[in-house]
Amino acid sequence: MSSTSKQVDALVERGYEHGFVTDIETDVIPPGLDEDVIRFISQRKQEPEWVLEYRLKAFRHWLGMTPPVWSSVHYPQIDFQAISYFAAPTKKPVLESLDQVDPELLRTYEKLGIPLEEQKALSGVAVDAVFDSVSVATTFRKNLADAGVIFCSISEAAREHPELLREYLGSVVPHTDNFYAALNAAVFTDGTFVYIPRGVRCPMELSTYFRINAQNTGQFERTLIVAEEGSHVSYLEGCTAPQRDENQLHAAVVELVAMQDAQIKYSTVQNWYPGDAQGKGGIYNFVTKRGDCRGARSKISWTQVETGSAITWKYPSCLLRGDDSVGEFYSVAVTKGHQQADTGTKMIHLGRNTRSTIVSKGISAGDGQQAYRGLVRMAQRAENARNHTQCDSLLIGDRCAAHTFPYIEVKNPTAKVEHEATTSKIGDDQLFYCRSRGLSEEDAVSLIVNGFCKEIFNELPMEFAVEAQKLLAISLEGAVG
Amino acid sequence: MSSDTQTQHDVQEILRLGQQRMARVMPDTDWQSATRKRGTAGVATMARPDRKQEAWRYTPLGFLDQAEFQPIVEGPFDALQLSDIDDLMLTDPPRIRLVFVNGYLASGLCAMAKSADGVTLSSLAGGLGEVPAMLRQQLDAIAEHNHVFAALNSALMSDGALIHLAAGVHLDGPIEILHVSVGLEQPGICHPRHLIVLEDGARAEVIERYCGLGDGAYFTNALIEVSLGSDSELLHQRMQEESPHAQHLSDLQVHLGARSLYRLTLAALGGAWSRNDVRVTFGGEGATAELDGLMLARDRQFNDVHLDVRHEVPHCTSRETFKGILDGSGRVVFDGHIVVARDAQKTDAVLSNRNLMLARSAEVDTKPQLEIYADDVKCSHGTTVGELDPDMLFYLRSRGIPADQAKQMLCQGFAQEVFDTMASQALRARAGQLLASRLLTSTPEQGER
Amino acid sequence: MMLSIKNLKAQVEGKEIIKGLDLQVGPGEVHAIMGPNGSGKSTLAHILAGRDGYDVTDGEILFEGRSLIGLAPEERASRGIFLAFQYPVELPGVNNTHFLKEALNAQRKARGEPELDSVAFLKLIREKLAMVSMSPELLKRPVNAGFSGGEKKRNEILQMALLEPRLAILDETDSGLDIDALKTVSDGVNALRSPDRSVILVTHYQRLLDYIQPDFVHVLAGGRIVRSGDKGLAKELEAKGYGWLSGQDEAA
Repeated sequence: MSSTSKQVDALVERGYEHGFVTDIETDVIPPGLDEDVIRFISQRKQEPEWVLEYRLKAFRHWLGMTPPVWSSVHYPQIDFQAISYFAAPTKKPVLESLDQVDPELLRTYEKLGIPLEEQKALSGVAVDAVFDSVSVATTFRKNLADAGVIFCSISEAAREHPELLREYLGSVVPHTDNFYAALNAAVFTDGTFVYIPRGVRCPMELSTYFRINAQNTGQFERTLIVAEEGSHVSYLEGCTAPQRDENQLHAAVVELVAMQDAQIKYSTVQNWYPGDAQGKGGIYNFVTKRGDCRGARSKISWTQVETGSAITWKYPSCLLRGDDSVGEFYSVAVTKGHQQADTGTKMIHLGRNTRSTIVSKGISAGDGQQAYRGLVRMAQRAENARNHTQCDSLLIGDRCAAHTFPYIEVKNPTAKVEHEATTSKIGDDQLFYCRSRGLSEEDAVSLIVNGFCKEIFNELPMEFAVEAQKLLAISLEGAVG
Repeated sequence: MSSDTQTQHDVQEILRLGQQRMARVMPDTDWQSATRKRGTAGVATMARPDRKQEAWRYTPLGFLDQAEFQPIVEGPFDALQLSDIDDLMLTDPPRIRLVFVNGYLASGLCAMAKSADGVTLSSLAGGLGEVPAMLRQQLDAIAEHNHVFAALNSALMSDGALIHLAAGVHLDGPIEILHVSVGLEQPGICHPRHLIVLEDGARAEVIERYCGLGDGAYFTNALIEVSLGSDSELLHQRMQEESPHAQHLSDLQVHLGARSLYRLTLAALGGAWSRNDVRVTFGGEGATAELDGLMLARDRQFNDVHLDVRHEVPHCTSRETFKGILDGSGRVVFDGHIVVARDAQKTDAVLSNRNLMLARSAEVDTKPQLEIYADDVKCSHGTTVGELDPDMLFYLRSRGIPADQAKQMLCQGFAQEVFDTMASQALRARAGQLLASRLLTSTPEQGER
Repeated sequence: MMLSIKNLKAQVEGKEIIKGLDLQVGPGEVHAIMGPNGSGKSTLAHILAGRDGYDVTDGEILFEGRSLIGLAPEERASRGIFLAFQYPVELPGVNNTHFLKEALNAQRKARGEPELDSVAFLKLIREKLAMVSMSPELLKRPVNAGFSGGEKKRNEILQMALLEPRLAILDETDSGLDIDALKTVSDGVNALRSPDRSVILVTHYQRLLDYIQPDFVHVLAGGRIVRSGDKGLAKELEAKGYGWLSGQDEAA
């Protein structure tokens, strides 16, 4: 796949031929990463000194690290000096009308039922200054402010709420955690900060989609959500519509902190560009997501629907520190074409009576490669802790692959762990039954697959669940036959 | 824990000392030299495994740093008499029994009832006469050096049973390979190498046991090759009952022909440190492998089983059922890997690993893995870790059985499901007794941590 | 008195289930305890057998004049209490004969009686098998594992016949049984009736009482015995349903 590596080069080189420029008015800096670049980023974002120090510390640590090698994920080596680490948010080519957009993309939007104005926004067509969601967002902001909820970009938080950010940033995913987490800590450029005060039930589902200026997903996104004692929040990340993105490497970090009796529900729909039919292009999505159940009876729930990206590598995890705390992971991952996904979770049980549930549904079609990789660890003091894991893989076609690699480590005899995994294909009898009732083969597959994933969709907020079902159907088009 | 700086030294040293002594005592026979060379080359290129290697992630090798294992090249135990190993004998001793002491055939302890035509028994070091050509050719035919210890075995293999059944031969009654280790002044290492070949349609039962006489410290590094022809059938029962201070590593590599049936029961009950690698490769369609195992880790025992089941052809079935019982500060590791290759359609594989934890300072690390590249397959795995079921305990106690005895019965029952897959009644009984006595004598744990 | 329960209060997971229960069972008597689902019938059975997690918070339970509270399940068994489980537990790998022999000998040992050797035991168990029309095959299998519903219940009665308790508590023994199995099981119980053995039948339905005639019938509701009577009470309940009682309970 050396062609892919060339493409990375092509992407980063385009438009960066002017050499290194320190002029702070410039929107782009040339490829390469050193301390000056990090200072530049920090300066452009008007960050306090301590944020810069944090970035530099991470960078220095990162220099000593080597990129991870994953047994079941294959991609060409990434040249980290060939990436530009700061670009203005709108580097997408601006098109004049929808006529210029790839008709295939438009067809998908139509199937998903996305309004015309949003279609324009998503596909990079210039839109009127008064875009619907802006006013919607304004209303949201007022409601949130009334409840005392902070919902802003991470740069804004660095300026407006430095004490909060300083306390929690990197407290769940330290900059030393892994190669990509270290890189993110050094160069993060965009992201979201959410703070729910004590006892507050967030009055609405929070979504990146409605946050102004978050319409472009950052390459090195950083998200931090803090739920104080007894608070509740549900956060939606991503969007079902396929998004074009010029950046091939995405290395986000998400940190969640749940205090006593707090609950955080984090839902993701990821549908980034998977590359073309030959497996060229596509996003490398290397994400570190971790939730810290710090307080007793706290709960963190991850739900994800992963259909996009050329390579997905993510293990949204829960650190169950508080007694009686609960961790959940519900996942649907689809790989087709030449997509690869290595995803799963880590449930680290430290407190007494901690509970975790893992339900993972993997669907592999075409030449898709998929692995569930999960760790359940019961520490010695995790008295009466419980885990139940169910991993099911569905294979469509004889060139795809599905793997299950669970790791179970138990040091407490009162802890109970149950793990089940199955791999199967769609039964011929199931297909025949549906078709004998008049469904096309494609509809039958979609119906059966949706049934296979129902448990996960049930965990998604309502409107997301409907979209996710449609998305799944579209993702699997052409997978059969 | 192992430190990276001395990684190679210990294994290389074992090789060097072994080769030195071997050159003195045992002239290299031509037909084995290719295997030995391959092994030597393997040791030279392979590092001592460490936690960074996936297959050794949970296997501590610190003991290598703590003892200098001396090669055992000659068996100084000719003096050992049958009465000395009385306690090790099965109640119903097989009529064919090959006994090895510290890695070398002890002919005085063997029993060689006349077996059917077409059954050839030989031994690697020639103790049973010249090794027939068909066995020479088969040696090292399927062994892979998946780790440095397997290579070490090929380089230094001491002695071992070579068993061949011609096509269509059905052996009546089991053959027993009994490996007895006696502790020496200096901890020794031996490298038994066994080969079992069943030609098409042959049928046999083999009992393979590793026992310690006394409680000496030593390291057994065995490699066993099993090759099954089409439509053949092997009942393979293995029991590891090494001394409480021994290290035991077995690498069992099995190749299955079409429609063959391979049944393995492994009872790993002894040793301070024990690791059993089992690799089963399906080479012909329609074959079946049924693998059952019990791992006991009590006190400070470490007991590790690694399965690598390779479904490389269509229409094969495998069942893997492994159980762990942990007491005291015991530690069990289970790594069950099933690979289904792209063309291995209609594979049916079910892997199960259940672990019973009886003590607070015990630890289980389990990793059941499915790696699947074909779509028309039925594969599943299930894993559980937990303590004794309180409902079961209550049921027994409500019938008047005291709590301690009830626990004991439930543990026995848990293990019995594995032992019941052994064809040999005598072995089954021995396994049950050993387990019972070991569970009873397990050191009570220290107070809560 | 064989069993004397006074003002018993008990909790399960912090929730009070038994709320002041009184019950007197004399030697040789058969008492039926009926009641709607969730009334505490099974809880009572488990408390008597000494199940963990059932906390007696008040009152007393005297068995043959001595308190049962705080005794381990095996101590109660050795004193002569037997619980036939509603859902007999499967014990994979534990051989049924072995289990029965261990149980009998553990009780004999606890009572200071000589243990039976294998020969004596096998002779005894064969007699008992015939009594409950159970196939000797089931003795060779693991306890209850893979048994049908009827076989499990029969195995319970076999244990009762073998262990010869002073007080047998049958928890919903009729549930899940077809008529033939119900008849066999009842015959077994009836054969074990004797002047010095008492029986408590816990049941939801009147049906069982057609086969095992009780001396007394009690209705348990809301953690208390709300009505007691003779066999007629069961008939009345069947005709009117439990609703009739709870309505009356509220009025009272």
